[in-house]
Amino acid sequence: MGVIFQPAIIALLLASALCVLALAASAPFALEVIRRWDITSGSERQLQLERRTYLFSTLLTFVLALQLAAVLLFVFNAEKMSGMFVGAMCAVGTLNVNAFGFPALNAKIAVFFLAAMWLAINHVDSRARDYPLVRIKYALLLALAPLLAASAWTELQYFLGLKADVITSCCGSLFSAGSPTLAAEASALPPLPAMWLFYGSLGAAIALAAWHGHGRGRNGRSAYALAAASALGFGATIAGILSFVSLYVYEHPNHHCPFCILKPEYGYQGYWLYVPLFGATAAGLAVGAIQPFARIESLREIVPGFSRHLAAIAANGFALTAAIATAMIWQSRLILIEH
Amino acid sequence: MIELHAIRKAFNQGRHNEYWALDGIDLSIEANKVTALRGPSGSGKTTLLTIVGCLARPTEGRVRLQGEDISGLPERFLTEIRRKRFGFIFQQFNLIKGLSALDNIILPAYPTGRPRRQVLDRAEELLAGLKLGHRRHAKVEWLSGGEQQRVAICRALINDPELLIADEPTANLDTHLAGEFMGILESLADQGRTILLTSHDPLVVESDVVQRVIDMRDGRLIHER
Repeated sequence: MGVIFQPAIIALLLASALCVLALAASAPFALEVIRRWDITSGSERQLQLERRTYLFSTLLTFVLALQLAAVLLFVFNAEKMSGMFVGAMCAVGTLNVNAFGFPALNAKIAVFFLAAMWLAINHVDSRARDYPLVRIKYALLLALAPLLAASAWTELQYFLGLKADVITSCCGSLFSAGSPTLAAEASALPPLPAMWLFYGSLGAAIALAAWHGHGRGRNGRSAYALAAASALGFGATIAGILSFVSLYVYEHPNHHCPFCILKPEYGYQGYWLYVPLFGATAAGLAVGAIQPFARIESLREIVPGFSRHLAAIAANGFALTAAIATAMIWQSRLILIEH
Repeated sequence: MIELHAIRKAFNQGRHNEYWALDGIDLSIEANKVTALRGPSGSGKTTLLTIVGCLARPTEGRVRLQGEDISGLPERFLTEIRRKRFGFIFQQFNLIKGLSALDNIILPAYPTGRPRRQVLDRAEELLAGLKLGHRRHAKVEWLSGGEQQRVAICRALINDPELLIADEPTANLDTHLAGEFMGILESLADQGRTILLTSHDPLVVESDVVQRVIDMRDGRLIHER
């Protein structure tokens, strides 16, 4: 039980509790907006809804932005606590202490991307003068609520189930080629095809972001293509990290762990890779999330402008990810591919 | 220019001391005219003025400025509208003590991002127009009531608003200064500005400068001249 009294764990649980509470408090309001919003009416109820939507969207922006930061803290904490468990060498060991570790991480990552998309929709809505997306964004919030609650519950189960006397498994067993997991399959990808996939998908995402930006953010097809390329780029980059980037960082031909690169022994290099990758993917997905609303009269100028801004973030983030990975490979003394 | 539809405004709503200051106001304020709201204390004149000027929101009803509904706009848009489209002259002038007359006048222009030289030139022009140029560097607490009011008028005009709102503009002035104010009001009306003011001063509401007088009582419009 003592394990739970870590500052980072307390902060994470507080952030999740705050998020769930804020959602619980917002849910009746969201339902009322969906059922009774009528911008043409000057009734007392409508005016109250208009006043409160400003308050609720500010509150939700705060708690969802907190969830974006929570992913980083969750991973940092998992890595930091690895010294407390027998058999744990990095965050993988900590996440393997019980059955809720990896589901909690995956849920947090899902919340990260979905929250980023909701925040983008909320942002464009709050820039318009006539609340064009107010119903949609609160309906999406209600759809998001079960996932946020599930994420908070999984995280709580994980932290409550952290037992210091449990012997856990290290990353070697999870990311070795013989292991029956998706991560192991990605780790087993030969370096050369993995490199093509890694640089190809990042290049495609950067090119699509540039194309979308060049069209001043007005092209619908480029927006959806960028969102798809961002999702693909994210998956391919993670596969690339598992398959070859990590090997170059560790200078070891069989060490595929995507978490050890977060350790101080490796200069926290992983954060340099993951922060721009997550930021760029979120921005790319957000471009797709706001595109369906580009034709709404009051958003005709707002969506393309913000979309272009997001595309620039995506392009720069993916380019930075590729550049950092290349620098890691460049500096490594490992020879993985013979010329 | 401004249309009010079924406006109601409550204070302390839901509490034992709930009070409805406005109760079903339908009103259209025409552009380029001077309109006065007249009525006894507590009739809702100032409340109505604050709703028209986006300083308060109605509890019910809609306010439209040149066709656009402004009563439901989020605060960020209201700030923009208040800054660019309305000029306010308050009963107590609400000047900032410790600052000079010139600094008080140019203050509302800062958030607009206009070049400082342009703003200063406009302020000098306004000061000269109201014969206050020689007092530009005097701190406002050193000025007389009439001078303070002229500074407040200059401040209200610094962003060149379409609509000027004045709450009991002569309440703190003697007859001579009130007469001077009416002269200023006449020149502003001649410039084609839309002016909405509250007053129960006969000097104001019976003046020829005021083209429309609306009587209020108990939060309702009761008569119009």
